[in-house]
Formats: sequence, C-alpha cells, structure tokens
Amino acid sequence: MSHDGHHSVVIPAPGPEFVPHTVAHHFDTPVQEFQAAKLGFWLFLATEILLFGGLFAAYFYFHEAYPETFRVGGHQLDWRLGALNTSVLLLSSWTMAMGVRSAQTSQKQKTLLFCGLTVLGAVIFMVIKFFEYQAKNEHGLVVFSELFAPYDAATGSIPWFKDYHGVMAGLPHGHLFFAIYLTMTAIHGLHVVIGAGLILWIMKGAAKGRFHAGYFLPVDLVGLYWHLVDLIWIFLFPLLYLVP
Amino acid sequence: MTTNVPVIDSHAAAPQAGRKNFLNCSQGFWSWAGTLDHKRIGIMYLVGVSIALLAGGLFALLVRLHLWKPEGVLFGNVEYNQIFTLHGAFMVFLFVIPAIPGSLGNIVLPLMLGAKDVALPRLNLLSFYLWVTGAVLATLAIVLGGFDTGWTFYAPYSLYTDQAVVTIGLAVFVLGFSSIFTGLNFIVTTHKLRAPGMTWFRMPLFVWAIYATSILQVLATPVLGITVLLVAFERLYHIGIFDPRLGGDPVLFEHFFWFYSHPAVYIMVLPAFGIISELVSVHSRKPLFGYKLIAFSSLAIAIISFLVWGHHMFTSGQSTYAMFAFSFLTFFVAIPTAIKEFSWVATVWKGSIALNSPMLYTLAFLVIFAIGGLTGVILGALNVDIHLHDTYFVVAHFHYVMMGSIALAFFAGLHHWWPKIFGVIYDETLAKIACGIIFVGFNATFIPQFIMGSRGMPRRYATYVPEYEPFHQASTVGAMVLGGGVALMVFYLVASLFQRKTAMQNQWGGVTLDWLSPTPPPLENFDEPPTVTTEVYDYSTLDYKTMQTPVA
Amino acid sequence: MSAHDHHAPGDLQMGHHHVSSAKLFFNVLMALLVLTVVTVAASRVDFGAANMLIAMGIASVKAALVIAYFMHVKWDTAINKIVFLSSFLFLSLLFIFTLADHATRRWDNDLHTMRTPVDKQWVYRQHEHAGDH
Repeated sequence: MSHDGHHSVVIPAPGPEFVPHTVAHHFDTPVQEFQAAKLGFWLFLATEILLFGGLFAAYFYFHEAYPETFRVGGHQLDWRLGALNTSVLLLSSWTMAMGVRSAQTSQKQKTLLFCGLTVLGAVIFMVIKFFEYQAKNEHGLVVFSELFAPYDAATGSIPWFKDYHGVMAGLPHGHLFFAIYLTMTAIHGLHVVIGAGLILWIMKGAAKGRFHAGYFLPVDLVGLYWHLVDLIWIFLFPLLYLVP
Repeated sequence: MTTNVPVIDSHAAAPQAGRKNFLNCSQGFWSWAGTLDHKRIGIMYLVGVSIALLAGGLFALLVRLHLWKPEGVLFGNVEYNQIFTLHGAFMVFLFVIPAIPGSLGNIVLPLMLGAKDVALPRLNLLSFYLWVTGAVLATLAIVLGGFDTGWTFYAPYSLYTDQAVVTIGLAVFVLGFSSIFTGLNFIVTTHKLRAPGMTWFRMPLFVWAIYATSILQVLATPVLGITVLLVAFERLYHIGIFDPRLGGDPVLFEHFFWFYSHPAVYIMVLPAFGIISELVSVHSRKPLFGYKLIAFSSLAIAIISFLVWGHHMFTSGQSTYAMFAFSFLTFFVAIPTAIKEFSWVATVWKGSIALNSPMLYTLAFLVIFAIGGLTGVILGALNVDIHLHDTYFVVAHFHYVMMGSIALAFFAGLHHWWPKIFGVIYDETLAKIACGIIFVGFNATFIPQFIMGSRGMPRRYATYVPEYEPFHQASTVGAMVLGGGVALMVFYLVASLFQRKTAMQNQWGGVTLDWLSPTPPPLENFDEPPTVTTEVYDYSTLDYKTMQTPVA
Repeated sequence: MSAHDHHAPGDLQMGHHHVSSAKLFFNVLMALLVLTVVTVAASRVDFGAANMLIAMGIASVKAALVIAYFMHVKWDTAINKIVFLSSFLFLSLLFIFTLADHATRRWDNDLHTMRTPVDKQWVYRQHEHAGDH
C-alpha cells in the first residue's frame, strides 16, 4: 500500500469524543508505524533490564561474599511494608493493563479511570517507601543527612552508616547491604516517579480523545514501561526483604 | 545550483537542473539544528566526531612529544596522566564509538534500505544532542580540574583521585544513551523500513554490519551506564561494592566495565568492517566473495564478543579458572574475523580494481587490520598476555585496530560517500598522497611500540628508562607524520566544499540503493519509492551513464 | 518478515491486536497476589541454599505472568519476543561469568573469603614452604 508521499495517512476517530491520528510522513502504513515504535520500545526495555541487571549482579556477588551480613541486614527491613508495596505495585500493574485495554476498546472514561488509579498506586508506593526510608534513617542504617558527607579513611567509618542499635555489629561490612538496598530501591523509585509522570501525560492525551481503537500506541508503550517497573520490584522484594 | 530558495517544499516535482536536495532545500541555523532528516543529522555528527578526532589527535601528539626524552619534556606526572586520559576518553567515547554509525551510518543506512528516513527521526536527533551534551560534560570535566584515571576509570583509583571523575562519568553515561538510541533506531529501521523486495539477503553488508553493531550497542551499553553511575555513587556516598576498604571488590568493576567495553571494541570495529565490505566490492566491481559468510560472521562476532571480556583482566586477580575459559573463548573471535579478511581479499582477487583513493584507504586497512587482528590472538593467549599485559605491545595492538583499522575505514568510507553526500569531488592526487603519508606515519608510530612493548615498556608512564628512547623517538616522529597526513586530508576535504568540482551521479559505479538515489539525495531520498528486484552487488545492472553524468 | 508485513489493503487500523478479556487480567492479578503470599511463606521455612532458588523461582513465575499477559508478549510479534527475552539471556552471561569467577577464586586460594591479588602471595609462600620439606 505504498502511496506517493504527498498525502499522509490518517486514522479516523471512532467517535465524536475522539480525534483522528495522522501517521508520520516516513511511514507508509499505520501498521508500520505501530510496529516500528513498539520494536523500538521493546529494545529500550531490554536496555533497562540490563541496566538493572548490573545492580542485581552486584547483589548476588556480595550476597555470596557476605551471606550473614545480607541475612541480618534483610531482617532490618520491614517485610510487611515490602509485601504491602508489592501488592500495591501488582494492583497498579493490573489497573494499567486495564487502562490499555480500555484504550484499545475506545472507552475514554475507563482509560482515564484506570490510568488515574495507576498513578494513585504509584503515589501510595512512594509514600510507603518514604516511611521505610524514614525508619532506616531513625535506626541509623541510612542517615540521609550524612549521605554525601566525606569518607574518613583514618577511622574507616562510613558517615551515613551509624547503626545506633548495633544490629549489624560484628558482621563484615554491614553497610554494604544497606548501600545496595538504597541504590536499588532509589533507582527503582526514580522509575516509579518517571512512570507516574508518563501516565499523567497519557491521561492528558486521553482526555483530549487522542487514544482509541485505531490509535493507542502511546498508552501501550507507557503501559509496558509501568509493567517493567513492576517486574523489577517482583525480584527486589524477595531479595531485599526476605533475604534468602 | 541556487541556494537561496526560501520556500521549503520537498514534495514539489524537482526540475532536473538545479534540483533541490537535502543540502539546499532549506537554510538557516534551525533548519539544521532542529532537523529530523537523517542525512543532516549525519552531517552534524560528522562535524562533531571530526572535531573530537582532531582534539583527541592533538592530545595524542602532546603525549608523544612529552615522551621524546626519558624524563619527559612537556608535563608533570599529573598533567601527563590527564592528557593521555583525555586522548583515550575523547577518542573512544566521542570519536570511535559514534563516528561511523552516527555519521556514515545515519546518512547511508536509510538510503541503502530504500527508506525515506530512519524509523524514529526524533530519537535520532535526541541521540545527536545527547552526544553534544556528553561532549560538553567531558569538556566541563577538563575545566573542573581534569581527570587522570585513564579512559577505563579503574577502581579503586577512580574512587580515590580528587579529580572530576563524577562529571566525566556523567558524560560517559549520557554518551552511552546516545549510542543506545542510535543502535535502537537502526535496528528498528532495518526491520521495518526496508523497501519492497529488499530481503535480508539483499541488504548491503554495511547494513548487516551496522545491524550487528546496533545489537551490541543496545545490549552492552546499559551495563556501562550502571557501572559509571556506580562509580559516581561510590564517590558520592561510598556504596563500597568497588572499594576494597569497604568490603568491595575492584575486580567486580573490571567485570562490569569490560562486559561493555569488550563488546564495545566490536561496536567500534564492526561498522568499519561494513565499510570495507562495501568498498572492496564497488572498487573491484565484483560481487562480494562469501556474502552470507560475511553477514553471519558479523552476527557471530557480536555474540562471541559477549563471552570474552575477561581477557582484559588476566592480571587482575580474577580466578585462574575464569581466565582459562576467557582465554579459550577469545580464540573463537578469530574465526569469523578471519572469514571476513579472507573474503575481502578473495573479492579483490581478479577484480576490476580501481586504485582510487577510497580503495587505497581500503587496501591500507586490509594490511593494518591483519596485523591488528593477529596481535590480538597473541594477546588472547593467557600465558603470553601475563608478560605483555599493560605494555606498549597492547597499546600498539589496539591502535592497529582502533586507529589503523577503524579510523582508516572511516576515512575510506568518507572518501567513498563524499561525492554522494556533497555532490563534489576532492583532489584525488592529494588524497592518494595523504593516504600514503597516513599509512607510513601510522606504521612508523606503532611498530616501535610493538617492539618496546615486547621488551617490557609499560603503558601510561610519564617517564621511562633510557634504553627505550630510540623507540619512543621513532614513534613520536611517526606520530607527527601521521598527524600531518590527517591534517592534509582534512584540508583537501574541506577545500573540496569550496572548490565545488562537480562529482558524478554515481561516482564509483555502485549498484546498491544508496547510489541509485539522486546525488545529493533529495529530502526523502528517492524521487519514487524504490523496489528491489535484483540481487545485491549485481554489477550487470550497473548503468554506466550514471558514472558519466555530472551532478545536476 | 518483509518490510511491509501482512495487512489488508485499506486497513487503516493499527493492525490486528489481541484485546485480552478483563477476566483474564483479573485472574492473572489474583495469581500474582497468591504467589506473593507463597513467596513470604516459603521464606519462613529454612531450605538452606535452596531458599534462594525457590525465591527466584517464584519471582520468575510472577515475572513470566506479567510479561506474558500484562505486557501482551504472548500475542506479540516474534521479533519483539526475541528482543525482550534476549536481554535476559545476555544478562545471564554477565551473571554466569562474574559469579563463576567469584565462586572459583576460592579454589585458587583454598580460602573462603574474598581474595585480592595481594592474597595470592600467601599461596606462593605456602608453595615455597612445601618445597622446603
């Protein structure tokens, strides 16, 4: 179905509350545009997997080197909050999947509703995360005010790791578990925030009626991103909160 | 050729005389800075990586000048460390990795596929600006006090030094994503935007090579990203995973770093292989010997490159068993690589060889790459590498690959597609002279380094014992000759843009789609969307008239 | 896989997309929540070294559910499946070689803590010592 390039392909809107979509000039068909964008996004998700993979490799490396440090360290995290957050993310993944489905079936109000619920899930997740971090701060396991203070090579103590209750006393390199915990959850949390921002952007477009059965590509892609955030947490939860 | 046409209407029927092309269809700063056209983005990349090459080359000359005397001539130790680090970091991250995919890949790949553009043009522009951001950050790191870790940022030194490691780490992270997005774009373009009839085995081998490169860019670069981030975090809040004082393991850093940086060697060299594959065929006017073997060997190299990174770590304290495995696996890279070298030579054999400047650069590549590749096999042998590790032998080896092979292939490709891109031809005599100077200068620089390396001269030192002085001085003289050759090349290439000696529509007689589009190509590359009906490199389809028709 | 994959002329939609039923999504969600409970329960029992394998096994099942159904990979094109799954393949290379190096270093040194090149001196000294006898 090659056309002469003078006219762009337009996907009509399925109803008055929707707007048509114009296919980018260098694509011949909507299918080509959809598949190209989707392949590109899968490739991007593959890079995300490998980026997090480095952190997971470090986790396994030091879990093997200092199993006791990791076991005791894991006990300092509240597994109930971890399980709750896991459930929140799983639920938000479900609402996102339903949001994409609503867009696929041209249900504008439902798309907005489910996307809104997903953002709510992201907010709840971050609030719970905040309280978790606060608890670590109080116990001196991650003292945020000292996080970037310089390391004193003479005493060999890490400024942000005070361990007020001595829970890690006698264990080799007790800070290491919390450093890895902080790094992994902070980078994951950053992805949660970015994901929530993208979903808000999707909601803006959905409110204008841009997404419908004929064109729901951005909803689909942001949905994939959100599921990836969930996917990473599925592995983080047992590794950090229930250290095997 | 009128250039002051204010109206942008790429869809208008182009008249034969003074026809519009991607260069003159619009003007002004923003028509370039905000362009989504793959060819303009490619030219911006070309300008960018050329500046990086000249800067990196300047640093190299400073390093060589300093080493004229055993006690050093120009710098103190810290400054020397900074200068060779700048040379390495600029050359690797700002020139060699992005050079061929970013410039020639961007310009040529969609043309070869018969596409109007890359699949994701906005992402393409973003890649370029990420490159610019990385370049700015790298320059900023110099202003902020420089960095002296070597381009490899090895822990624990990179964690302890008081220099701008976080800034350059950020630069590398950003450059990494520039590279990822370029690769991602090319994979999607190759899968989704091939012209009707352009089957996988009708794709030119340059496309195959860029495709294999892109796989590496997408799958390996993220690990570099997280590695430099972790180094930055180590410096900011002392995670401890790379810091032996805090229970960490510097060898883990090396694993992470080389998981990327060994495949990165092929990110650099595979596009060069692609260029050479095209050029030996066109300039020998002969279908490639072993087309499918070359195509598959690119993929094989891409896969094997993920299995051998530990051969950079033979003296790191890595387990002996891991070293056995890595050394053994390393030899497998030689097989697909040798298949390529053999196929190129077999292509030239009994061809109708045109000894013009792109072909001269190509032949120089074939010689230099044979040396670069074979010394790699020597270094892959575990016991030999224990002796040669971190000596000038290694320096000479990877310069034979990275400078001698990749930069020469880049120059070859530049000379080959220059008339296609700009519609003008450079001074052929000067080009041949420059090629000769570069070839001689290059070998004069690095053959002495092989010799002194095998005799134990360690790399990266600001001073050395007097017995190495003749080798260092020979190397420095060679570097000056090499620098002169490159300067001459830059001169006549830039001059050609002003002399405007018109090129032919199909300057060399290529039969791939890039040569079948108008020269220079119009905004969307082809007047009519092309359909492919013939096999690739079928020179019986060559229309000789296009070789004698000047650019309109 | 030609550049212009199967589509009927005049097909202005985005191609044929599988729309999963809401019931399926709900069932997947329930399975994921149940598996989360199983994860916690399994961590309460001491299986020794197998705890890690069990935890990662359950997580992998959960991940597979998310990937196959929520991310629609089950109905996606072959190339998209290959791309995403190959990221796990290449990641496993990073894991295997890095962890194998770490795990076999103790064979080098006959010691059960992390080794650095400096520690190798210890082995060499032992060797010399043995030679004295």
